[in-house]
Amino acid sequence: MAATNCFSRLALVSALAMTGCAIPALSAYAQDAQPGGTLRILATEDIDHFDPTSGALVTTMNFARATVRTLISYAGSTDETKRITPEGDLATEVPQPTDDGLTYTFKIREGAAWNAPSGPRQITSADFELGMKRMCNPALGSAALTYYTGLIAGLSAFCDGFAKVQPTVEAMKDYITKNDISGIEEPDDSTVVIHLSQRAGDFIYMLSLPTSAPAPVEVLDYLPDSPDYRANFIASGPYTPGDYAPDTSLQLVRNPAWKAETDPLRKAYVDEIQLTFGLTVDAIMQQMQSGDSDMTYDVTIPPAVLQTLTAAGDDKLMTVSSGNTNFIFINTVSGNNNGALKDVRIRQALNYAIDKAAIVQQQGGPTIAKPVNGIFGLGVLGYHEFSLYPSPDSKGDPAKAKALLAEAGFPNGITLKMPFRSKGIEPAIAQTIQASMALAGITIELTPVTASDYYSKFMTNPVNTKDGIWDIAPVGWTPDWAGGSARSVFQPQFSFDGTHQTYNYTDYNNPTANDLAQQAINATTPEEVGRLWAQVDETVMADAPVVPMIANLIVLYRGAAVQNFQPYALGVQGDWTNVWLQR
Amino acid sequence: MSSEAVAPVIQRGSWALTARRLLRDPASIAALGFIVIVVAFAILAPAFEAWTGHSAIAQYRDTGMSAMGLPAAPNREFVFGTDHLGRDVLVRLAFGARVSLLVGVLAALCASVVGVTVGMTAGYFGGRVDSVLSRMMDLVMSVPFLLCALALVSVFGPSLQLSIGVIVFFSWTTMGRVIRGQVISLRRQEFVEAGRSLGAGPLSIMFVDILPNLSVPIIVYTTMMIPGSIVFEATLSFLGMGIVPPAPSWGGMLADAANNSLYLVAWWLVFIPGTALLLTTLAFNIFGDSLRDALDPKGRPRPRAKRKGVQR
Repeated sequence: MAATNCFSRLALVSALAMTGCAIPALSAYAQDAQPGGTLRILATEDIDHFDPTSGALVTTMNFARATVRTLISYAGSTDETKRITPEGDLATEVPQPTDDGLTYTFKIREGAAWNAPSGPRQITSADFELGMKRMCNPALGSAALTYYTGLIAGLSAFCDGFAKVQPTVEAMKDYITKNDISGIEEPDDSTVVIHLSQRAGDFIYMLSLPTSAPAPVEVLDYLPDSPDYRANFIASGPYTPGDYAPDTSLQLVRNPAWKAETDPLRKAYVDEIQLTFGLTVDAIMQQMQSGDSDMTYDVTIPPAVLQTLTAAGDDKLMTVSSGNTNFIFINTVSGNNNGALKDVRIRQALNYAIDKAAIVQQQGGPTIAKPVNGIFGLGVLGYHEFSLYPSPDSKGDPAKAKALLAEAGFPNGITLKMPFRSKGIEPAIAQTIQASMALAGITIELTPVTASDYYSKFMTNPVNTKDGIWDIAPVGWTPDWAGGSARSVFQPQFSFDGTHQTYNYTDYNNPTANDLAQQAINATTPEEVGRLWAQVDETVMADAPVVPMIANLIVLYRGAAVQNFQPYALGVQGDWTNVWLQR
Repeated sequence: MSSEAVAPVIQRGSWALTARRLLRDPASIAALGFIVIVVAFAILAPAFEAWTGHSAIAQYRDTGMSAMGLPAAPNREFVFGTDHLGRDVLVRLAFGARVSLLVGVLAALCASVVGVTVGMTAGYFGGRVDSVLSRMMDLVMSVPFLLCALALVSVFGPSLQLSIGVIVFFSWTTMGRVIRGQVISLRRQEFVEAGRSLGAGPLSIMFVDILPNLSVPIIVYTTMMIPGSIVFEATLSFLGMGIVPPAPSWGGMLADAANNSLYLVAWWLVFIPGTALLLTTLAFNIFGDSLRDALDPKGRPRPRAKRKGVQR
């Protein structure tokens, strides 16, 4: 998920198409690609999950890009349209659905292989079904599960049964081998047939998410993403993990089983990728500028550095859109303040109190960010200009907020606990929120949380939510795919079908919004789709489960040696598997 | 014997002599002057707030920041510029001085009380008591203070009280050792034996007879501990473990400047709190040094062998 600033969750792309993204510099196309060398990447925090099934942060998509192949993927490209056009990765081509849009048939590419312990082994259609089965394993499942359970016939029944299984290696292996998903068939080793229970124009995009990647049978012997799993990682992409020291460094080396001719999307020019974790944003930016590093992993460039780089006319900057938004999630579950946040008036007061213009400014100004008033970011079909809680210049309306608080029984204000990630500009953003809320009589107590723990351990732990360890929390979200991606914003965060979803922290649900969303998913024309999602947006915001803040563009920076820097849509970063180095 | 006119002899008390020695040293005058200025600056912080019309924690986003979110350089409205959130650096510096001085002085006083108590007990009673207390001092001195402070803060959360507690815990040992050594030599002296033979108990001897003789090291070491505590507090705040934002402190201001490479575009965010911190600690150090020389002229190194026997 997304984390707050840009790098968020699941990532993806989105948006692109409509936001104005400036792409100041293209890499030198004229020169010939030079294979070899080590690509050095610096990160503030470790990769959240190696296992593609559970990997969900936007940044993790880059790791998955290098190590894991999915049926569908995208070319890394500076061209926005090309960047978000699905292409066959393991699948030989992107199929047209048959059976009135309900059946998809994929052919798996000949020669695409697992780096299995016994030597390279062809990836088969059964491996795809195995990967899908692992998504709802009771130990560590997929954050995007509901996309698939609502669509693929028989998946929910499979998952319901799986939920009752003990989360041990033996029990899960046993269940997976003895049960099948009725909607996924493998007529032969290279053919996958998927039956949907309803039409979905965005189904192809879902198959580009690493969570839907095929899995080799060996992984059933390990707990998902456990140290054993990581130590015995079986790659299908051009690179595979080598030396790994958690929170310190990770080396990706060439995967001997990967063949360039089987992969149209990855050229894999560099011999090795070296990731270093645990650095500060300042240290990373300094090393980038001095040429001691080639790319960043999870860094939002601070405004001061951006200003210096822009002023110097640095052509290694690139701006891309990801459909990302930053907002404040409101904890309606805990009993803090006698359950005050369950009262919609208080949540609306928060929406009035926030000074979005200040946050835009703190983020680096209007060229980087703009205020938003709904759940969808720029470029998502369904995004529209509206504001249920308007204020002049988006600077907040403390008087209105105070009045609502008084009406709800808090005439003397209220005190709320807000965690924030202690890295980069997050503390400054947190203090900006604190200052604007203070004007409305809302006292914010700030709690710093280690950046790498913020989502993985703090926010996604339902106990923290229930116990009221936090009242409001700044978070971010990046849609999982491009363009018609409203579903990938709404569904994982704002719908609840009885099963807790990782990123719908408070199990928010609104039946009217769900109905509208269903209509939008089934609608046929883009106008209709856009109109319906816009209604979903307004319906959700009437409940004020969140306080929308800003939509932002993402600024990427690369070292001088990096050539052919082509952003990969899901990772919102230059494609590791297509850059080459010229030192 | 001599025909020279003899100046009238003036009888001076030891405090007067000390003051004369101090005043004769220009460095100590300058240091003392600066300390007075800093104290006045801290006391007058609300006056600066009123004069500029800027609160220490309010964010002036229209006048104090560019649209790109960068701070304003020193100008007429913001004499020392603004920080990364558009807050007035001058006002924050003044309120930060309160924190620095409060923590510095308070922590130094507490540490010296602890140090004197432990040192006196160990030195006077000797034997097993001394062994235990001395090993305890060794133990505290061998604890890595930053690691320990980090651990404490992560458990209890940052706060002013915790900062002072951590500083006191790690700074009393020097005082303790010095006092112990002094007491060991003092307790064998005749006046102590005299007191004991007259029937005075240990407490009475320690406080009535020995303590006054320790006033010089106590005053000197306490003064010298103040700059150490100020720097210690700044270190804790710099690491985010001291004063809780948005309350200003000098270390926190420096940390803000260092974060996000802000110093690249805003030199004043480093220069101003950095200079304040440097000069304040320097002033306390120089003053403490001069105080030692003035209180204990015998301990002062003689720069030249031949000096007239002037009573200094």
